[in-house]
Amino acid sequence: MSESLTAKGADYGFRFDQSLCTGCKACQVACKDKHDLPVGVTWRRVVEYTGGSWQVDGATVTPNVFTYYTSISCNHCDSPICVQVCPTTAMTRRDDGTVYVDQSKCVGCRYCEWACPYSAPQFNSKTGHMSKCDLCYDYRSDGQMPACVAACPSRALGWGPIAELESGAGGGAGIAPLPDPALTHPHLVITPHRDAQRWDAGTGQIANPEEI
Amino acid sequence: MNTAELPMILFTVIAQMCVGMFLVLGVIDLWLSRSHPRAQVERITEPVVYAIGPALVLALVISMFHMNDVTHVFNVLRHVGSSWLSREIWFGVGFAALGFAYAIMQWMRWGSALVRRIVAGLAAVVGLGLVWSMSMIYYSLVTVPAWHTRVVPVHFFSTAVLLGSLAVAAALMATALIRRRALAGLDAGHEGAGTPAKGKATLMDRVRARATEVNAPTTDTEWTLTTDVVRRATLAGLVAGVVVLVTYPVHIAHLAGGNATAQASAHAFSGAFFVVRLVLLALAAVLIAVVSYQVAGTAKREQPNLLAVWVCAAFIIAVAAELSGRALHYESMFRVGI
Repeated sequence: MSESLTAKGADYGFRFDQSLCTGCKACQVACKDKHDLPVGVTWRRVVEYTGGSWQVDGATVTPNVFTYYTSISCNHCDSPICVQVCPTTAMTRRDDGTVYVDQSKCVGCRYCEWACPYSAPQFNSKTGHMSKCDLCYDYRSDGQMPACVAACPSRALGWGPIAELESGAGGGAGIAPLPDPALTHPHLVITPHRDAQRWDAGTGQIANPEEI
Repeated sequence: MNTAELPMILFTVIAQMCVGMFLVLGVIDLWLSRSHPRAQVERITEPVVYAIGPALVLALVISMFHMNDVTHVFNVLRHVGSSWLSREIWFGVGFAALGFAYAIMQWMRWGSALVRRIVAGLAAVVGLGLVWSMSMIYYSLVTVPAWHTRVVPVHFFSTAVLLGSLAVAAALMATALIRRRALAGLDAGHEGAGTPAKGKATLMDRVRARATEVNAPTTDTEWTLTTDVVRRATLAGLVAGVVVLVTYPVHIAHLAGGNATAQASAHAFSGAFFVVRLVLLALAAVLIAVVSYQVAGTAKREQPNLLAVWVCAAFIIAVAAELSGRALHYESMFRVGI
């Protein structure tokens, strides 16, 4: 392919369809493999959000439970708090709207790690620097899709310029257990699961906290 | 205790103490200058100035351990237009530079008294900026409920005043003990060493002469002033301690009434460690009260030991209280989202 997928001003982001995701984590593994990430660094993670209660109907009590998955990495936010707080300017926004860590500047203070509500910047103890998803900048420069998107077997994960994604199916990123999207304005469009709950009205809990 | 954040705990507490010392000294200087000649005021305040430098250098060195790649350390100065962490480093370096400039001008008697006071005033303002920017590092994180609250700057400035005033009082006591040794030396017939021969004074001679001058025995008037200053400074510390004790329940109630993340943060302020922190703070407050109302009023110039022990005990316990309080500050870090 020769087409450039790093267009200036494109403001790329992700699209995710919760109704299609089976929680197989192929995206997570593809990311880890492509970027050769060490143990403990997982740029893309699949969050399992689960909850429920008992439904009482006369003398019959039946369980009424739900679970849905959200595949999440960096959302290349419109107001990236990591870029705002970084003291070194290592956390940088490219012309195409994606955010990456300039390894020649990062001092490894981990302030961005405190700030980001999506746990996107992660510390790499081998380099002493922060690391994060750059939406596979090298792949895109060659006209290839990001590894996670290419790996998704159910086509739940997509990507593209945020304006295009927003004009299609799906809505905002304000779904539990994700935070209030007003905090950072993530470039993330989610088609909600039928049981999806609003970010501020979640009754469930993350079932796999050790994985994210 | 949160050992992972140990460099940050030590750096923030010690740096805030240094700023507090400088501010408390400034207030003492202004207050004493109204009714006492310049030379007498400087006999009280000058030695304490020289105690701040080593503590601040220690704090700045400790802060470097927070960086995982020190070879990139100068990059932290770059993002001053947006990052409070960059601003903190600028204020920290500025406070250290101006404080050092003032100390060396004072020691070498460079510049007029007015110029030196202007430099000290600038250092105090930059020091205020340092504590403010430190607190904004945490306050500006809208994603962390326990930090995005006005309690953070209130607690940081309280630490500055509590430890600053007690450190000044402890340094005054150390000065009194050193000067008493000088008095013993004079009694034994040893003239102060380092009095230079006229016209041939080298730099080292001048330094020795100044040391002898600074360490000259305390007079009765100076002792009265010292105990008065200790009493008032420690009382300022007591007020700061009370502010912390009063704001804790407000902070915890606020978190407990917030979202799930805020409620998780509130749990940090429970259990044995929190009780120890509160007890240490209360103990420091009680010791200060005893110092202010009992010991300082009756201490004799010839026997400063008892007052010194009380003041130093209050100081050490307050340092332990603030270090554990800062550990809890980091312990309460729970972020919204995933």
